[in-house]
Amino acid sequence: MASVQERVIAVTARVLGLDPAKIKPEHAFTVDLGAESVQSVELVAMFEEEFGIEMDEDEALSVQTVGEAAEYIAKVCREQGVEA
Amino acid sequence: MSEKRKSFPLVDTTEPNLIEEIFDYSLPPRITFDGPVVEYIHGEPVRFDPAELQSRDLVITDTTFRDGQQARPPYTVDQMVRIYDLLAQLGGPNGVIRQTEFFLYTKNDRLTLDRCRELGHRYPECTGWIRAVPGDFRLVREAGLKETGMLTSSSDYHIFQKLKFKSRKECMDAYCQVVDAAFEAGVRPRCHFEDITRADIEGFVLPFAERLMRMSEEVPEELSVKIRLCDTMGFGLSFPGAALPRSVPKLIYKLNREVGVPSDRLEWHGHNDFHKVHINGVTAWLYGCNAVNTTLFGYGERTGNPPLEGAVMEYIAIRGDLCGIRTQVINELADYMRSIGFPIPDNYPFVGKYFNTTRAGIHAGGLRSDERIYNIFDTAKLLGRPPRVAITDKSGVDGVAHWINELFGLRGEERINKIKCHKVARWVMDQYEKEGRMTAISDEELEEKVRELMPEYWAKYKG
Repeated sequence: MASVQERVIAVTARVLGLDPAKIKPEHAFTVDLGAESVQSVELVAMFEEEFGIEMDEDEALSVQTVGEAAEYIAKVCREQGVEA
Repeated sequence: MSEKRKSFPLVDTTEPNLIEEIFDYSLPPRITFDGPVVEYIHGEPVRFDPAELQSRDLVITDTTFRDGQQARPPYTVDQMVRIYDLLAQLGGPNGVIRQTEFFLYTKNDRLTLDRCRELGHRYPECTGWIRAVPGDFRLVREAGLKETGMLTSSSDYHIFQKLKFKSRKECMDAYCQVVDAAFEAGVRPRCHFEDITRADIEGFVLPFAERLMRMSEEVPEELSVKIRLCDTMGFGLSFPGAALPRSVPKLIYKLNREVGVPSDRLEWHGHNDFHKVHINGVTAWLYGCNAVNTTLFGYGERTGNPPLEGAVMEYIAIRGDLCGIRTQVINELADYMRSIGFPIPDNYPFVGKYFNTTRAGIHAGGLRSDERIYNIFDTAKLLGRPPRVAITDKSGVDGVAHWINELFGLRGEERINKIKCHKVARWVMDQYEKEGRMTAISDEELEEKVRELMPEYWAKYKG
């Protein structure tokens, strides 16, 4: 089964139309990957769908990088009793 | 004047200072003063104390049916009766909207007056409006009115160029004959000093006012002459230091304090030719004139008159209390006026379609966190109009989310977060980025998209 980080990268690539191989954990969604405002919200929505979780809007949108997103999602999965 | 520079160290705090003693969100923001206002008149400082605004009987008078009707096709009798009824509801039991004036010349004029009075409202009191012709008092008396306005033009433009009097004395004598006729008919005359902001104040206006005050001493108090200062061409200026005849403060001062016309017998009537109509009316209040004459939505001859609803808001702002005014009726009046073909611009304050609508996503974000950030006061409570967001490419997800929450009527914790609105936000962005759209998205279009893209919420809140 793919790791949280691999699934985060796959979703990010799909939403932003990028090659997953070129997305690194240290990449920032807006500065490095070019996510616009509406795409940031779409990313959060797709992460929720992918992992079957509900995220706090402000917390989720304050996450900057792919690696941080994976960590944050793993934490929410644990809190909500969802197997990641 | 001292120009000594000062130092202003930062007053750091972790608690916001929202200055709520002025910006109490439940009311229009208070109008407060630091102390007396000083105006130089004949080189001497004269103090006007704004604290007196709290004790004087400030009122709003209405001329929607007279000046307002001079700018449009006639209202029907039913329309005028409906408007009168709504004005009575708006002004409330304390008579903040104290009087309204009617033409008396046609059968319909008189029928309207009768039907308005049959409603039984104490306020607005009904007064008349006639030419300065002695015979016209028969109409006033037959209508059973206690007060009527009459034209007593005060500038030489009118006295010589329009009315063709040979001298000012001949003119003043003619006016005074009509005032006498009013007294004899038992009707209180309200002399409309037309074109006062273009008149010779010392040479005609003050001598005429003085004579009217002397004549008033000979009759019972309830017949004593009122004076309406008519800024017929909108030349009035509210600025401190402005010169006569255009200075509103000095005109009021001269009549009120030098001639001795009491504040409750002075009324300001303005026109909006230079965009100063509302502030000039409120300035008249401040400097000693108790009544400001207005029309609904400022609609009047040429550029219009002080807007009644603006004066209502200013009144509340000065008093710091609703004083019995039912502000929600303002929008009822606007809806009614639209229904009878009266145009109200979209950006018109308090009632325009977009008066509290933002198109900027960043403003919509502010509205989401605290609507006070971008709303003038609690417009939902006072006007039945919550702040809104119009959707364009600038609205962002925040704007779309605000719009959707307004559609469902959701507040506080109930509100749907913007993550859940992403599909609608994407559709909006694609309209502009992929479809090349150049127009705003209508409420109807967006509602349809919410129904399609957020079916679970639609079923929950609209189903």
